[in-house]
Amino acid sequence: MLRVGVIGLGKMGQLHFLNALHMKDVKLVAIADKSKRNRNVAESYHIKAYDDYTKLIDSEELDVAIISLPNFLKEESIVYAAEKSLDVFVDKPLARNLAEATRIAEKVKKQGVRLMTGVNYRYFDSVQRLKDMLDEGRVGDVVIATADLILNGPLGHGRVPTPVPEWWLSKEKAGGGALLDLGYHLIDLMNWMFGDLHVEYSSLGYRFQLPVEDGAMVVLRSGKSKVNCCVNAGWFSKSIFPDFNFRVNLHGTVGYKSTDNFAPKNLRLHAIKAASCNLLRKATGRKMKYLSYTYYYHSFFKILELFFDAIQKDTELPISLKEEIDVIKIIDDVYKRNGADLNG
Amino acid sequence: MAKVVLTSASKNFVDNDIRDAVSRSFDLLGYNYPKKVDTVVLKPNLCYYWDYSTGETTDPRVISVIIDYLRAKFGENVSIFVAEADATAMKTKYSFKLLGYEKLSQAKNVELLNLSEGEIVEKQVSIRNNTITLPVNKMLLESDLVINVPKLRTHNLVGMTCSLKNMFGAISKPRKFSYHKNLDAIIVAINKLVKSDICIVDGLIARGKYPKKMGLILAGDDALATDFVVAKILGFNPRAIGHLKLAEKENVGDVNNTELIEDKTSLKEAKKLFPGSSFLLHRLSWGLQLKLLDVYLKLSGDVSPPFLKA
Repeated sequence: MLRVGVIGLGKMGQLHFLNALHMKDVKLVAIADKSKRNRNVAESYHIKAYDDYTKLIDSEELDVAIISLPNFLKEESIVYAAEKSLDVFVDKPLARNLAEATRIAEKVKKQGVRLMTGVNYRYFDSVQRLKDMLDEGRVGDVVIATADLILNGPLGHGRVPTPVPEWWLSKEKAGGGALLDLGYHLIDLMNWMFGDLHVEYSSLGYRFQLPVEDGAMVVLRSGKSKVNCCVNAGWFSKSIFPDFNFRVNLHGTVGYKSTDNFAPKNLRLHAIKAASCNLLRKATGRKMKYLSYTYYYHSFFKILELFFDAIQKDTELPISLKEEIDVIKIIDDVYKRNGADLNG
Repeated sequence: MAKVVLTSASKNFVDNDIRDAVSRSFDLLGYNYPKKVDTVVLKPNLCYYWDYSTGETTDPRVISVIIDYLRAKFGENVSIFVAEADATAMKTKYSFKLLGYEKLSQAKNVELLNLSEGEIVEKQVSIRNNTITLPVNKMLLESDLVINVPKLRTHNLVGMTCSLKNMFGAISKPRKFSYHKNLDAIIVAINKLVKSDICIVDGLIARGKYPKKMGLILAGDDALATDFVVAKILGFNPRAIGHLKLAEKENVGDVNNTELIEDKTSLKEAKKLFPGSSFLLHRLSWGLQLKLLDVYLKLSGDVSPPFLKA
């Protein structure tokens, strides 16, 4: 049984918390969050809550820490957990910049612990199916790949409006804007599909005049497969659940395929279908596909489950630290080219 | 007698068209201004961090023209404040920045006023024979002129948002979500406490089922009468909108003797252009979906993502 602690119980932390509660062979021991309101969430599930993550790590016997903290707290919390020999699952982005990511990687290596970043977009059913088609050669040699993820970002809100955490709008605390937040996923997908990427062109947008960019366009070229990838990320678009402006398009010598071909056209109908299937699974004693009714949120369950599985079986992690360093390297390069790095 | 002007800046409006339409609407309204005007508060609708192009928030270009008009009328020394209060999920310090108002304030030399800060007084008002107490910024109560600059759009909770609902956003308390259970009464209460002297409605991009460039500008000297006209454009019976019905009952305005001046467009034409939507259907459909979700979660034990939490 893996003993798990969740550090940070904001929106994403709460999602990991709820997912971990539903996983086999995982014992959610305790959580840590500065906010009393967030600690109350954990306590309503009879899970012990600390107001400081160092107290959680020092007081409890843990195997794994799930870290879901603001970007500026990532390095110190990962380092603290690694020093106590905990394996770590951390929300993307791994760090605010390459220097931080490199220090994190060195620490993890030195301590002999394992670290995985939650790049859940790889586990959307539509992305998995597109990757299968790519691997099977169904689109031929890909010449051009495009990926879009344009939403409200942190400026959006859920069913009940809650304030945007202010750190998101600080260059120093967040490390970046739409590129680091959403573009991270897209670059990770391009890197996973084609590898060996370098920046050919990049442009950052500031429509909302924030200290961080609210739009980014990056053209990457794969040294390995010579694919040109165009990545578009943005926070500038009003998006209301369940609308979700995300797609990956592959243009190859055989033809064209897109995640849009495999994503549900009507997310409400999908929800009814997926919920019915789950009820049937439950009635017949089969394994539930948690959060599948939301389509995109199932990927968070899936990636955490794969991480725990690899830790328990002591097998290779599905997402390597090197891949994530590669992503941060590209983002760092874009920020430097546009004078938008922390020293820029 | 209340007066409402409905005019058009044309559907493919550019900055000059906005200037002409807003200035014309002021002229046609012919408002009887007080003899001395030293301070003016402009209250746009900046409900959230959504760009004016979405049809959700007031276009800063409309505010810009109003500022120029006021300066021309009352002289360069008139103090103009562009005011908005913090909301449950919105902080004015960010909405002013994100939505182009910080830039506007620098260009036009006007002050941005956070109505949740500064001198705030608790004011009482009686609605349906119940006393309601609301925190109101003193600036709103003491300025010589309050110009309400709302949007023209539908609203999922109260059917439509225009002049009266825009003043709800002026209540100083940031966590206005707590008023939602008694929304109609609170909207009427704040409008009883703070009278909008003039309403200039930004219907340049109106939002119904979707945002649409309609190029409309309305001006009114009575917030309720203005909202009655807007309700008709949106395809509603004004008296079927809870807060308008209550406002009429509470004598917030005069809707029985409205003079409507149609200039370069008509109510009929505007109504035809507006992309209507049924808020009742929306509410019922969301309500049903959330009910079904609750049943499913109870039966299955599946996870509910935090953003869906009530």
